[in-house]
Amino acid sequence: MSQKIKPYLLLFPAVAAIVLLFFGGLFDGFLKSLGYFPALGETSFGIAAYNDLLNSEAFWDSLAVTLRIAALSSVIAALLGAAMAVSLFMLQASEKGRSSRFWQRLFQLPLTIPHLVGGYIIVLLFMQSGFLSKLAASAGWIGEITDFPVLVNDSFGWGIILAYAWKEAPFVSLMVYPVLARIHRSWRDVSRVFGAGNWDFIRDIVLPVMMPAWTIATFIVFVFTFSAFEVPFLLGVTYPSVLPVYSYQLYTSGTLADRPEALAVNIILAALTVLLGLVVYYFSKRWNVLKGWD
Amino acid sequence: MSELRIVNIEKQYGSLQQTGSRAFSLKPVDLAIQEGEFFSLLGPSGCGKTTLLKLVAGLLEADKGELWMGDADLTRVPPEARKFAMVFQQPLLFPHMTVEDNVAFGLKMQKSGKKERIERARNMLSRVGLEGYGRRFPNELSGGQQQRVALARALVTNPRLLLMDEPFSALDPSLREEMRELLGRIQKELRVTVVFVTHDREEAFHLSDRIGIMSEGELLQVGTAKELYEQPASTKVASFLGMKNIIPGAISEGRFAATSAGVDFPAAEAGLTGPAFLILRAETLQLMNSNAQTVRKDRWNFEGIVQSLRFNHGFYTCKVEMGGLELECSLSGQQVQSISRGQTVPLAVDLKDMYWVAQ
Amino acid sequence: MKGFPRFIKAFLFLFLFVFIVFPFVPLVLSSISYGWQWPNVLPESFSLRAWEYVLFGSSDTLRAIGVSLSIALIVTAVNVVLAVPAANALARYQIKGKWLVEAILFAPIVIPPFVAVMGIHLTFLRIGLTETILGVVLAHISPTLPYVVRSVIISYNTLSTDWEDQARMLGAGAFSRFYHVVLPHLLPGIAAGASLSILISLSQYLITFIIGSGRVVTLPILLFPFISGGDPAIASAYSLLFAAMAIGTLMGLDFALKRYYRNKKTAAGKTVEE
Repeated sequence: MSQKIKPYLLLFPAVAAIVLLFFGGLFDGFLKSLGYFPALGETSFGIAAYNDLLNSEAFWDSLAVTLRIAALSSVIAALLGAAMAVSLFMLQASEKGRSSRFWQRLFQLPLTIPHLVGGYIIVLLFMQSGFLSKLAASAGWIGEITDFPVLVNDSFGWGIILAYAWKEAPFVSLMVYPVLARIHRSWRDVSRVFGAGNWDFIRDIVLPVMMPAWTIATFIVFVFTFSAFEVPFLLGVTYPSVLPVYSYQLYTSGTLADRPEALAVNIILAALTVLLGLVVYYFSKRWNVLKGWD
Repeated sequence: MSELRIVNIEKQYGSLQQTGSRAFSLKPVDLAIQEGEFFSLLGPSGCGKTTLLKLVAGLLEADKGELWMGDADLTRVPPEARKFAMVFQQPLLFPHMTVEDNVAFGLKMQKSGKKERIERARNMLSRVGLEGYGRRFPNELSGGQQQRVALARALVTNPRLLLMDEPFSALDPSLREEMRELLGRIQKELRVTVVFVTHDREEAFHLSDRIGIMSEGELLQVGTAKELYEQPASTKVASFLGMKNIIPGAISEGRFAATSAGVDFPAAEAGLTGPAFLILRAETLQLMNSNAQTVRKDRWNFEGIVQSLRFNHGFYTCKVEMGGLELECSLSGQQVQSISRGQTVPLAVDLKDMYWVAQ
Repeated sequence: MKGFPRFIKAFLFLFLFVFIVFPFVPLVLSSISYGWQWPNVLPESFSLRAWEYVLFGSSDTLRAIGVSLSIALIVTAVNVVLAVPAANALARYQIKGKWLVEAILFAPIVIPPFVAVMGIHLTFLRIGLTETILGVVLAHISPTLPYVVRSVIISYNTLSTDWEDQARMLGAGAFSRFYHVVLPHLLPGIAAGASLSILISLSQYLITFIIGSGRVVTLPILLFPFISGGDPAIASAYSLLFAAMAIGTLMGLDFALKRYYRNKKTAAGKTVEE
């Protein structure tokens, strides 16, 4: 009998921690987004916050800018990451041994850099008086600071996109590379026997093999950038701001009346990420990306 | 003095168990194994022999039945307290410990002093022919050496019982024979009781004092190799032991009529009537010299047409057809020289070598 | 065919430089600059002023590093204690409703944890957990625990129960089996999970800010005012320090693990039979 309940006992502490700290928080936030603040004597439920939110222009602007930034950063990170992974793989295939492992480690450096630092690196590089602008000026390409495009704290979000592309490209390559590494050396030889050149090999074997993992990695980057706070907080503009920043602005604006709205933004954000997460999960199962490669 | 008694142990696997979704049941097993005996459980894979071994080890819990060692009831004793040892199919040496520490592990668990356990471990290592390997790590050893270490590790604690689960099946054939010799020698030296699981007939015949044949969750027959071979209790046992000429038919009025062919055999000595099997071991079929027709009362003569001849380390396997039946017999190289395919040859079998099993 | 790897190597080198080395150039230069006007490519003069301020100017930095590391280490220790049994159950037992358990445990990977933290903020405030290290530790658990569980599950998947059965047959009780057999095998997985946990905990800004209310000063909290419009030299120095701390902690863990195995002289992960 005790053998039957043992796994549940083993699971209990971890599950309890997440349920209490995470789902408790979600639920707590959900109740408050409905206007239930017993501490303030508010014990009635209502969807006023959601109503206000969905009727406000600020929310829709914020959603649009969030989607735009997430989409662009994930696509750019995906392209860069794939380029990195394929180069590393070709290097590994042409020469076995240590050097490519060293390269691999180096490429993962941006992964270990905290997001705030990554954001600041982009600030120093891309702001109008930044390093690139200085280089361009001394090369004689631009004459004034204002000739350099506004890429940081711009309303389009280029700074945020650049920061994510830099941070997440190594993540994409990290997801894709192990799949590529499974391409047996002999496959290369087999393809050569059939007369495939390097380019044929990449197009007909490497790309199709990495496709599922690549797509999933891109999705993951999308979901992450969709809901991350630090980088847009540092590199974005006050209006329109991405959803997490918008929620933070509402939450800390000072008036308690805005808090249910902030929490409503959070709940919508959580619902959207769950939806996106399910899409990722569905495709990763369907394509068998994670099975067998672990 | 302290024999192992397995009393009506049985085990039922539902579909929820980890061992696969297929339901499996081990039918009640009742068995006594003498102290110092080498006992093998022989059967095809999936027959339940490993299940039975794990039940004896305590790694699985029996649904019913008891396990006794001498006058101690071990049924509810956890495996770590049974003072048994076990060697698995894989060496399972702990990779982060030296060979010496691996061998000494059981002694460490018994809380013996460091000096003593290292000394005993070295001693046991030299017994298995690995003197001087103690400071190495398992991954520096070959597969055969690793399995020797596993054997040393199992024996060093002087276990009351050594359980072995196909310990040599992952090794090369030549290495397997070497390990067989080593195990046989050490077992006799240390007089340890062994329960050995295998699907390899030769291995079981070579090593065992007694063998238990298992099939589909059932212990079919227990006996010495010779008993099993000459007097299999059922056709299942016979076919598992590699006997080819198992002929279904029926006995009436002292004659045995084969079901699938128009042949009948003398069956006066069978001692039974009705549906039965006739078992003719390949080596009991003798090729007769055609000139000297020596008709004897205790022998049955017949003629067969040679279908095929196959060389088979040291002797030939010859298939002959006789009245619609195909029989296999073993012939020496010399005998084979005088016959060829398609030829009709005289054969004979002693009546006492004809073995009958009721259907 | 011959020129191909060389072309790739050249490409990789350029890529590496532009992508990884180059972005750090202004950060490093800025941290040792003393005035750097547009359009000069190099600062007018160099000085270690910013580093002096950051490292010795006030005790804030050291305290913040201490707070950051203690939070990260406590969170990670708690995570390991929670994750090992859970991973054991998920990897080795038949569990009814396994998908639900997994969905619960891995939800914080998908749903941004600040959502939960903002939701629980007022409750924490009421029971006095805000502005405390304990509160921040509790808030850091949900974003980190899933990664530790995942890493340990992968380790458990490669550990066949035969090893424990073998130890059992040699007389090892439950504790000995875990300590001598299971733990050495899990260590690489635990270390990988712990690395992620430390890294994620170290770089949390929003969660720490909400629960700590500015009173629990970790390095990101200390850093933020500088990088969002403070003195660029000091901001750069802090950024480098922050990055170095994250990388240093990871390398330290990696090194400790390697040394553990060098002492044991073998890589346990590799010699495990299937």
